[in-house]
Amino acid sequence: MEQKLDEIQSKAASQIAAARSIEELENIRVKVLGRKGDLTGILRTLGELSPEERSRIGQKSNAIKDDIESRIEKRKSELLESKINSLLQEEWIDVTLPHADSRKQFVRGHLHPLSQIQYEIEDIFTSMGFEVLDGPEVETDYYNFEALNIPQHHPARDMQDTFWTEDGNLLRTHTSAIQIRGMERLTPPFRVIGPGRVFRYEATDASHENTFYQVEGMMVDKNISVAHLIYFMKVLLKEIFRRDVKIRLRPGYFPFVEPGFELDINCLICGGSGCSVCKNSGWVELLPCGLVHPNVLRYGGINPDEWSGFAFGLGMNRLIMMRYGINDIRHFLSGDIRFLYQF
Amino acid sequence: MWLSLNILSKMVDVRGLSPEEIALRLTMSSAEIEGIEYMNYHLKSVITAKITKKLPHPNADKLTLCDLDAGGETYRVVCGAPNHREGDIVALATVGTKFGDEFVIKKTKIRGEESSGMLCSEKELGLSDDHSGIMILPPSTKTGVPLSELYPDYVDVRFEIDNKSITHRPDLWSHTGFAREIAAIFGREFTSVVNYSLEKEFTNTEPFNVRIDNPKAAPRYCGLAMKNITIAESPAWLKAAVTSIGMRPINNIVDITNYVMSEIGEPMHAFDRRKLRGNEIIVRMASNSESLTTLDGQDHTLIAEDIVIADGGGAIALAGVMGGGNSEIEPDTTDIILEAANFNPVNIRKTSGRYALRTEAAIRFEKALDPGLCKAAIIRCYDLIRQVVPGSEAASVIIDAYPDAFQSKTVATSTSFIRAKLGQQIDDGRIIEILTALDFNVKNDNGALTIGIPDYRATKDVSIPDDIVEEVGRIFGYDNITPQSPFVPCAPPSINAKRQFERLTKDILARNHNYTEVSNYSFVGEALLSKIGLNEGLELKLRNPLSTEQDRLRRSLIPNLIENIELNQRYNESFRIFEMGRVYFKNRQEPAALARETTRVTGVLFRKKTDTPLFYDAKTTVIDLFQQLKIKTMRLTPEQNDLPPYAHPARAMRVYAGKANTGLIFDLHPKIREAFEIKGQAAIFDLDLDILFSAEKEITRFVELQKFPEVPFEISVLADRFTYSSEIRDIITASDKERVRNVDVVSIYEGEPIPKGMKSVSIRIVFCDREKTLAPQDIESLQKKVIGDLAAKGFNLR
Repeated sequence: MEQKLDEIQSKAASQIAAARSIEELENIRVKVLGRKGDLTGILRTLGELSPEERSRIGQKSNAIKDDIESRIEKRKSELLESKINSLLQEEWIDVTLPHADSRKQFVRGHLHPLSQIQYEIEDIFTSMGFEVLDGPEVETDYYNFEALNIPQHHPARDMQDTFWTEDGNLLRTHTSAIQIRGMERLTPPFRVIGPGRVFRYEATDASHENTFYQVEGMMVDKNISVAHLIYFMKVLLKEIFRRDVKIRLRPGYFPFVEPGFELDINCLICGGSGCSVCKNSGWVELLPCGLVHPNVLRYGGINPDEWSGFAFGLGMNRLIMMRYGINDIRHFLSGDIRFLYQF
Repeated sequence: MWLSLNILSKMVDVRGLSPEEIALRLTMSSAEIEGIEYMNYHLKSVITAKITKKLPHPNADKLTLCDLDAGGETYRVVCGAPNHREGDIVALATVGTKFGDEFVIKKTKIRGEESSGMLCSEKELGLSDDHSGIMILPPSTKTGVPLSELYPDYVDVRFEIDNKSITHRPDLWSHTGFAREIAAIFGREFTSVVNYSLEKEFTNTEPFNVRIDNPKAAPRYCGLAMKNITIAESPAWLKAAVTSIGMRPINNIVDITNYVMSEIGEPMHAFDRRKLRGNEIIVRMASNSESLTTLDGQDHTLIAEDIVIADGGGAIALAGVMGGGNSEIEPDTTDIILEAANFNPVNIRKTSGRYALRTEAAIRFEKALDPGLCKAAIIRCYDLIRQVVPGSEAASVIIDAYPDAFQSKTVATSTSFIRAKLGQQIDDGRIIEILTALDFNVKNDNGALTIGIPDYRATKDVSIPDDIVEEVGRIFGYDNITPQSPFVPCAPPSINAKRQFERLTKDILARNHNYTEVSNYSFVGEALLSKIGLNEGLELKLRNPLSTEQDRLRRSLIPNLIENIELNQRYNESFRIFEMGRVYFKNRQEPAALARETTRVTGVLFRKKTDTPLFYDAKTTVIDLFQQLKIKTMRLTPEQNDLPPYAHPARAMRVYAGKANTGLIFDLHPKIREAFEIKGQAAIFDLDLDILFSAEKEITRFVELQKFPEVPFEISVLADRFTYSSEIRDIITASDKERVRNVDVVSIYEGEPIPKGMKSVSIRIVFCDREKTLAPQDIESLQKKVIGDLAAKGFNLR
């Protein structure tokens, strides 16, 4: 009987070692250890043996059973590993390829850079308590000029060449038109910005457009000063460019502010050493601003002896051009997605 | 406008100041200097030299070798000129001399012979137009002397002023104005070039009268007669100066009047005395349809708003704008009348605009000049003519018609007001010092200021305390002001809901549906509209368009978007773009109210190769957009009839938000694809954002999760091939509004064994009850109801 056990063990061991699949191993297990298996058969006859023999054979049988089971487990994990390994080989793909279906090659949508900068500016200013206002793009002479202290036949009208509509109105030449509409609606103190599209009757070239975008800003409160204006402009530019930007403030003439300024920023294309964008001056004119002229406050129904304010008009196209190094303003309205995909 | 440093330096001492420094400080305190130009600086390294030997060039017939002596230094140059001889004194441009930006004299070999310099013609030197040969100087000329010493007036620096930055400063349209600024900025003395004591020389030998009819239109007119004039070329210094200030030398009298205008800012005119009819100059309004030929040869028919200078026979000049041809000075003129006058800026601006004569005079008069300049200009002009034209003399006193003299003005303010406006501590002493340097007459009473404004600043520029704030601020330096946050209450601002809605819409399209935002012009033109079939002439037109392609305002975003497809298909297999922007509708009210503006959002899908119509992609976008925007009721209906010409009539749906017609979804009409050579499929959705914004919105509420089992039921329905599946779906949905949960079209089949002209629509229905599990008999009756309702509408099961 012991000899038979040894035979079962050695036969099973060699079969296990030779097994090529998990199913084959399972068959071996059933054949040896199953209910009708060889080893089970022997164990079933143990009752016929003497107690000493029963104990000896029994122990041996159990040891063989354990041995076979562990051999099966071991072989099983060997087979599994090689199966996975061959799967890994089979499932190799050329990861450097793009998607075979060109339609699934993902092209995300891009917001126009003008929208992006507009939202950034809106967020910066709303976080500082500014309300966002709107106004019509086709405006009246009153809101665009007259109420901004630019009467008929004032030479300052030359500064903004104007598109006139056949019905005697005009395409707003600046978002400053929003100032008066804002003052009419709000009671001081208030802080507002008005982003939007503006138009100039001007031939287009790399640095001139007949359609571009501005953000008007205005704060009316008690005792507003030039120092406050400079503060807001510095915060804005620092947020937009994510670093301290060198600025300079110099006199500039705009009839709706007094005093009026031109705010220049250090040219970010050349770093101030001089290039074609800054006309070799190292500075780029970015932002006309000033304290609101008392006449303009009066036009808006606000008493200039009680209230004062500052206003500014930021050219968004110029700002974007500075930020990304864009050399031609005509890209903005070209409709060319090769340009738009870059932002 | 150009400023000459040579002219400035006659009025203010600029020694020790570099042109760059002057330009920077003027930019920071007065007006923008756009450029600095060095005039004839090459003359500094062109020296006089004597030709000691002239030899033929061994390798070239037309060239010569010249040995030169320049104050002891010797040079050899190769020269190609025909006119030089041994012993001549010539102008030698030494190595390193720069002509313009490009041309630099280098030591070089010409046909094998070394040449260290160049002998120059007068034209090459910028001294005249003579290019017939090299310049030969008088034999007595010392050698080794730079030409800049022989021709100092030609060496100059000029500054270009941004005219827009001096719109409000009539005084800065002159060298005098800028010299005053430089004096104030750098703390130097200003000296006027006008010698008023010369007036004593005038004796009234040849009287004439001046009459001003309308002192409002022409507050002042000064005239001076001069005789023994010889019209000739201007002397070198004057030609150089006139060139520096950007004008073309004409003759001595014209050049002097131009020079004086630039020097002190008063436009001047000179009439030929013998052409005047009678002894009176009349300043009056033109009579309607009075005619006048101006100096440029243009004939004008005037109106009563124009001011003219007239004599006994009629108009002789368009006042403040341009002289008349009938009184122009001629080469043989010997007697002249000089004019310096003052006119109402609005009249001049209108006249100059009306006849498109933007002359130097008009540009200055429209800024509101100081009437005090008239007399100064006459005296200065007289002074210069006496220097330039030997023997010339005054033939009259200054005839000065000045009915209502200008009243000097003052402004009252305080140092504390100035400090508060600037937000900067500047002490009283500094404030008064700055204002005094700017020629303001300041009376200080413990900080309360009474400030006399110089007349040349008082015509329009300075009148209120805020103007004084600017004067102090700009000289103090805005860059020296410390930025300061205001003390204001913190509160969140009101929300602009419309703007946020626009932004949300853009974000959904760009980020969820991968549309790229384009921005097109607000303009369209007739050609494009015709090409699209939209030429109805309903657009609001521009009075002054830049081109016929952009002569009216868009009523739809689609025309420009179609052009975007045309452009982008060249570089892209497929794309999705959208635009959000205003469209403009003419307002027919009287008097013309503003155009009605609405905001539209329009999307375009394009793909070169596609197996399913892009229409469905567009529709998917719109449905999701409505859901994300929480539009409460959305309805889509097929549209075949009421369509614009660019929409495909067999592939179009109208979109409703609530009951409001919100727009269309459609494939591009094949004839538009043809017309624009669009090589692919394109679908478009075009929605009114304002309607979407005001549409009723769904409020998100939690709905209990489905607890009871859903029972599917699949059927195939036979239908005419032009039947919209929505018709079938609607019948099924209506058969039991509570318990029909879902109706999906799974597939559509045409072909054998389905009869021709018919299709089979496979539909998957889901029944379920919110309250209980459906019993078999419930299911059966639901199924029967569906089938019965379909049959009642003529749809049978396959």
